[in-house]
Amino acid sequence: MRVRRVLTRWLVTLGVLHGIVGFAGFFAPYDPVEQDRKSPYLPPMRFHLIDGQGHFHARPFVYALKLREGSFDRYVENTTEPQPVRFFMKGARYRLLGFLPCRRHLFGLENTRIYLLGTDAYGRDQLSRLLFGGQVSLLAGLLGAGITLSIGLCIGAVAGSFGGWRDSLLMRLAELFMALPWLYVLFAIRAFLPLAVSPLRAFFLIITVIGIVGWARPARLVRGVVLSAKERDFVRAARGFGATHGYLFRRHILPETSSVLLTQAAILIPQYVLAEMTLSFLGLGVPEPVPSWGNLLSSLQQYSVLVSYWWIYLPALAMVPFFLGYLGLASSLQERGAAYKIESRIWGI
Amino acid sequence: MKVEATATGKNVHPLLKVENLVKRYTKRSLAGTPEELLALDSVSFTISPGTTLAVVGESGSGKSTLANCLACLESPTSGNIWFEGKDIVKLEERACRQVRRQIQLIFQDPASSLNPRWSAFEVLVEPLILQRKFNREEIKKRVNYWLGRVGLSQDIVGRSPMELSGGQRQRLAIARALTLEPKLLILDEALSALDCSVQAQIANLLMELQGSLGMTYLFITHDLAMAAHFADEIAVMDRGRIVEQGPPNKIFIQPEQETTRRLLAAVPRIGRGDQSALER
Ligand SMILES: Nc1ncnc2c1ncn2[C@@H]1O[C@H](COP(=O)(O)OP(=O)(O)OP(=O)(O)O)[C@@H](O)[C@H]1O
Ligand SMILES: [Mg+2]
Repeated sequence: MRVRRVLTRWLVTLGVLHGIVGFAGFFAPYDPVEQDRKSPYLPPMRFHLIDGQGHFHARPFVYALKLREGSFDRYVENTTEPQPVRFFMKGARYRLLGFLPCRRHLFGLENTRIYLLGTDAYGRDQLSRLLFGGQVSLLAGLLGAGITLSIGLCIGAVAGSFGGWRDSLLMRLAELFMALPWLYVLFAIRAFLPLAVSPLRAFFLIITVIGIVGWARPARLVRGVVLSAKERDFVRAARGFGATHGYLFRRHILPETSSVLLTQAAILIPQYVLAEMTLSFLGLGVPEPVPSWGNLLSSLQQYSVLVSYWWIYLPALAMVPFFLGYLGLASSLQERGAAYKIESRIWGI
Repeated sequence: MKVEATATGKNVHPLLKVENLVKRYTKRSLAGTPEELLALDSVSFTISPGTTLAVVGESGSGKSTLANCLACLESPTSGNIWFEGKDIVKLEERACRQVRRQIQLIFQDPASSLNPRWSAFEVLVEPLILQRKFNREEIKKRVNYWLGRVGLSQDIVGRSPMELSGGQRQRLAIARALTLEPKLLILDEALSALDCSVQAQIANLLMELQGSLGMTYLFITHDLAMAAHFADEIAVMDRGRIVEQGPPNKIFIQPEQETTRRLLAAVPRIGRGDQSALER
């Protein structure tokens, strides 16, 4: 019971986080590729409720930033003009969930631009890029994990069901795959491909590569589940009723693998988000100007950025709640699996 | 009356004939040296249609292994099993599936033979659905009929097998096997977990079915009293061998083997404390 409550909590948390990223167009004030060349590396603006004269404003406001006197990259707040924040205002066009044309944004400013997480070298809004970049990175993680689990399920099922030389061959292959230094293999694979590819093709390329890489562990786990499920008495009983191998696999054995697959998914998705980030960080992923969490961080490769603009690090922090969510989900799924096993042992099943 | 049945049974074609059945398990120990375990050591016997053979023996004597081999769930290392004149050991998969339906096994641990993810109803209709001969109405009718016969009420069908009592699960497993109306029913200690009144009810049901449908039973038990009550013939197993076989009277009155005597000594004495209770 407790396990289920924890599980629900993690699922809700992840649902909310993914919802925010999924509806990035609404939560982000601007288009992620829209540039504001006049204000590169603007630090984050802060919400205020009390202005310079000590007056309280019911509507939160921000101050626009201006260059500090005598400096060329330090900004101070222009406290003479409070800029009240407008909610549900019309702004840049976007497509909600990728297809619904829409113009409403959660918040924005009337006269100037609002940069809650600062801007990058081209004056692009970091918050908008973070939210839209999350779509790319999380989708890469989800699809990559989907590919891995499908391959893992197929190979594990074949190895476990058929046994014999197929099993040995596939398991040796799995060991080989687990032993390879994957980051460098990814480089090598990437090296074979043309440097400039369209963002969409690059995206599908990396999720395919990432997805294919990781099949070995889920395959081994699925194989184990299949092997033990095959010998369960209820499977043997069904065999006794004249069931075919296909039926046994579909109706009895496949459902047994579901908890392993779910747990693996919760472990793999953040891993693959991280893999996408690494590739993009190194410039091998989705090309600019399309945002992805790795792309957002990639300007940190320049030493001057690394030491001067702390807000460029923020995307790295943004993924922490996602990762915590997935890890929490994985462990409560594992716990549920264990609880289920214990329960069935108590009942002699 | 029972003895007569055996006598007439001997004349007709045996339903099941087992010849020199051997099952060897190879276990790899930690050191890597393969260890041989002879679970069945040259077992031979026959069962005539419409009779009951009880197999008794101590724990680990190979009774369940024998049951699994007969139900085509385990392939014997060597030997032959003739079922209705066909050798089912060498059958290919497709033909084997047909034979399996006619030889049903009630597992020693009925809970594990019911898928815990399914409802009791799904569990119960599985064999009928696999047969593909019946429509929904017929399936429902049959299922309800057999539920009633084993004394289960209809309102358990929505529950998961995990939510049933041990006895209810066992009866569910028996009802499921009976829906197929198999020619040979192997009961691997299927009645041991039931309380006396249910045990008697199921035993009576099985005897009645033997009369009406001519079913044949292989009844595995360590309960000699039960075996005596039920069987036309008793086979005593010890370490993979059938050491003694004969009608109950002979086994009980003149046991030839030490194993049999040991099993007899273990039977709880009722009333006056002699063995007359066993002799009906
Ligand atoms: N799958 C297996 N692998 C290896 N050894 C096995 C296997 N199944 C059974 N055995 C061994 O074969 C022997 C016979 O086992 P079996 O289950 O047939 O005994 P049994 O007579 O049914 O005992 P019980 O009355 O306790 O059920 C035992 O020594 C057991 O350890
Ligand atoms: Mg047994």
